[in-house]
Amino acid sequence: MSALACDDVTVTYGETVALSGVSVAFDAGRIHAVVGQNGAGKTTFARVCAGIVRPSSGALTIGDEPVPVGNVRASRACGVELVHQSFALPPSFTVAEALEFGSTRPGGLVFSRRALEARWRAHLENLDVPARLSDRIRDLPVETQQGVEIARALVSDAKLLILDEPTAVLAPLAIDRLFARLRRLNASGVTVLLILHKIREVLAIAETVSVLRAGRLVEALLPREGMSPASLARAIVGSSDVDLAAPIALEALAAESERVAAVHLSGVSTRAVLGGPALDDVSLTVGCGEIVGIAGVEGNGQRTLVDALAALAPITSGTLRLAGHDVTSAPLLERRGHGLRIIPFERNIEGLSLASALWQNWSARLLVVGRLLRLIDPPRLRATSRTVLERWGVRFGSVDQNAGTLSGGNAQKVVLAREIDDDATLIVAAQPTRGLDIAAMAFVWRALSEARDRGCGVIVISSDLDELFDISDRVVVFVSGRIAGEFRPPYDVRTVGEAMTAAHA
Amino acid sequence: MSARLFPVVRALTFVALALVACAIVFQLAGYPSAGMFAAIAEGAFLAPHAIVHTIRWAMPLFITALGVLVAFRCGYFNIGAQGQFYAGAITAGLVADALHAGPPVLVIPLVLAAGIAGGALWALWPGLLRVLSGTDEVITTLMGNFIATLALAYVASGPLKDGSGSGEVAAARPVAEGFRLSTSSGVSFSLAAIVIVVGLLMWLLVDRTAFGVLGSLAGRNPVMVVWQGARSGRIAIGAFLFSGSLAGLAGALELLGPSGRLLSGFAPTLGFGAILIALVAGLSVSAAAVASIFFGGLAAASLYLPVIAGFPAAAIDIINAAITLLITARAWPAKLTVRAWPAMLRRRTATTP
Repeated sequence: MSALACDDVTVTYGETVALSGVSVAFDAGRIHAVVGQNGAGKTTFARVCAGIVRPSSGALTIGDEPVPVGNVRASRACGVELVHQSFALPPSFTVAEALEFGSTRPGGLVFSRRALEARWRAHLENLDVPARLSDRIRDLPVETQQGVEIARALVSDAKLLILDEPTAVLAPLAIDRLFARLRRLNASGVTVLLILHKIREVLAIAETVSVLRAGRLVEALLPREGMSPASLARAIVGSSDVDLAAPIALEALAAESERVAAVHLSGVSTRAVLGGPALDDVSLTVGCGEIVGIAGVEGNGQRTLVDALAALAPITSGTLRLAGHDVTSAPLLERRGHGLRIIPFERNIEGLSLASALWQNWSARLLVVGRLLRLIDPPRLRATSRTVLERWGVRFGSVDQNAGTLSGGNAQKVVLAREIDDDATLIVAAQPTRGLDIAAMAFVWRALSEARDRGCGVIVISSDLDELFDISDRVVVFVSGRIAGEFRPPYDVRTVGEAMTAAHA
Repeated sequence: MSARLFPVVRALTFVALALVACAIVFQLAGYPSAGMFAAIAEGAFLAPHAIVHTIRWAMPLFITALGVLVAFRCGYFNIGAQGQFYAGAITAGLVADALHAGPPVLVIPLVLAAGIAGGALWALWPGLLRVLSGTDEVITTLMGNFIATLALAYVASGPLKDGSGSGEVAAARPVAEGFRLSTSSGVSFSLAAIVIVVGLLMWLLVDRTAFGVLGSLAGRNPVMVVWQGARSGRIAIGAFLFSGSLAGLAGALELLGPSGRLLSGFAPTLGFGAILIALVAGLSVSAAAVASIFFGGLAAASLYLPVIAGFPAAAIDIINAAITLLITARAWPAKLTVRAWPAMLRRRTATTP
């Protein structure tokens, strides 16, 4: 008996073929994984299964019953639920409201807050989600938000739970807890379909593995037994890419894999800025989930790079793409909208307004968005900023106190709390540990690593090579506004150091 | 709590110190300082009708001071309130004269709108110069004051000149009786209602809008808001426009209220009084209301002193000057300085990226 079967499903977006003739039947009661590279069609597949995307051709069946395609209501009525990659719960809702929102549980149209919480208490407790029903979604840690999402998906007697890249936002320990939760659900009879892309995670939880490559299902329902990381990697990448080069999609695929790069500078040149040379034909790509360290003798274009990313140094030639969007001439506000976050060089000038209250400093990123004359709710901004600053471990008395009253490490935590959020796609950290003590430094590095593990691209600029080597997945050396070398671990201080100084000769 | 009270205590300390300094000056100049202060208190609050005079001056001072404090909060040192007040009075006067036969229900709002527009325009060009070319608004708004003063003299003695008058003072034709919002006392329910509504709106603007909070961040650190992606040019232009609008509105109210006609050089110290109020009030709207009563009282007393008490009106100038000196002094220990002041000066030296 199958929990869900796809029969010859094809999805095209304009010219691009996202899925091509996918047929597979997932057995009920098991944990299935669908894997593939970025752009292989995994998310599209999950959305077809959940009824969000209507395939151009093909059919879905559950058991022997056909399911209408492209119809979320019908799919949910059949017990198919999807937990999205980026969470879809309204951040201003309480947990109870979020569970009620879109739930198919019968009864009642009008609730008191208390009645609503009573209605969902048992459900939340059964699932062991560590949140109170009165908590606001936005105040919850990411892991708990995901727990609430899963609880929301299970409200209506779900038979098949689909999770799209659920691990992308989680820290390693939280991934273990998620997998434990999924196994418990599975034991209670829910079929689980996971979209994943990390081999280690696939092998840790899946009972069967299906592989998508360039929109085609190249392996269906391989049993977990007898599978090695190497064989799985081969299946995902393909032994030879050439034989797959069906006219579809190589170009579309290239476009898509470029889209997932957090930032892509191609041949970027700028004018010189105060305290730095012009950028000269800089090409640099930082992937999601990657930390790229920028090394160089100070004054060799690091500041220009940050200014160019922040739209404060105009780009004279070349293109800059953020998360797939061409932002070469877009102002900073628009770039921030695409997930750019900056921890600037000068914490006390560019990062914070020392003579302004903490809550104003934290809220600035929200205030710059939208119409200037719109009404805001300062008491709520105060409360939210207090929650966030506490979560980041900032030591402060009141959010009304000035940022200038904090120690350097604490002040930097305020900047981190503002710049590292769930919508960040690229975090630019310029000398983020300058002037901090060892504990505060460790805190900053940990925060950046966690952001990387959640799928952010991170650019770190530091004059301390040891630091860069510790944290970076890749180190790029800048000399006179040009890239003079690129290094991968294991790093050799001497060769990197030579690259930093060689071009002067 | 103490953080909220602190600015109040500080402002009161400044004023008290200024009064002590004035007492010494009075005594040295041969006037009994106790008698002088008693006469000022009488002229401001105690004498018959003193409170009416005080409120008459407090209202335009308050409205103009609100405009000044919006600009100051955003970090723009618009000291052209006097000129923007005159510009508003001129445009309001031109509209009132052109429509002198119209129905008051329609004309009064039009005249007020014309005043707002005139004041806003007179603040807009320094704002644009500041944003587009970095021209220091202290210079441009100050020069704007002189131009507006002369423009008022021209309009009052030229196009709108009152033919029936003696011709000694440049005075324009009076506005139609039906347009007046108050008698020459300058106090009426309609004026008070307008002042209260404007005060509440400005409190909303400063405390409860993105513009207000972002503007105060920009005033203290313009570089930081740029790094957050703020459109700082818009904030600047908004600050100038609000600032000029309020001064212009005060000009229109002066015309339709106590003055009743354009008069060359009327209310000549209003703009600077408003700046002083904004600074003494620590750029807070509610504190500005209180400070306006205080300085309105001083204005009322400056008429009372020479006429009734036989003391020189210069005493009031000395008090104003002493308060100005103390409130703007930068050498105070860090905790005592007006918070906005150092940031304003820092802005002039900070390099904008």
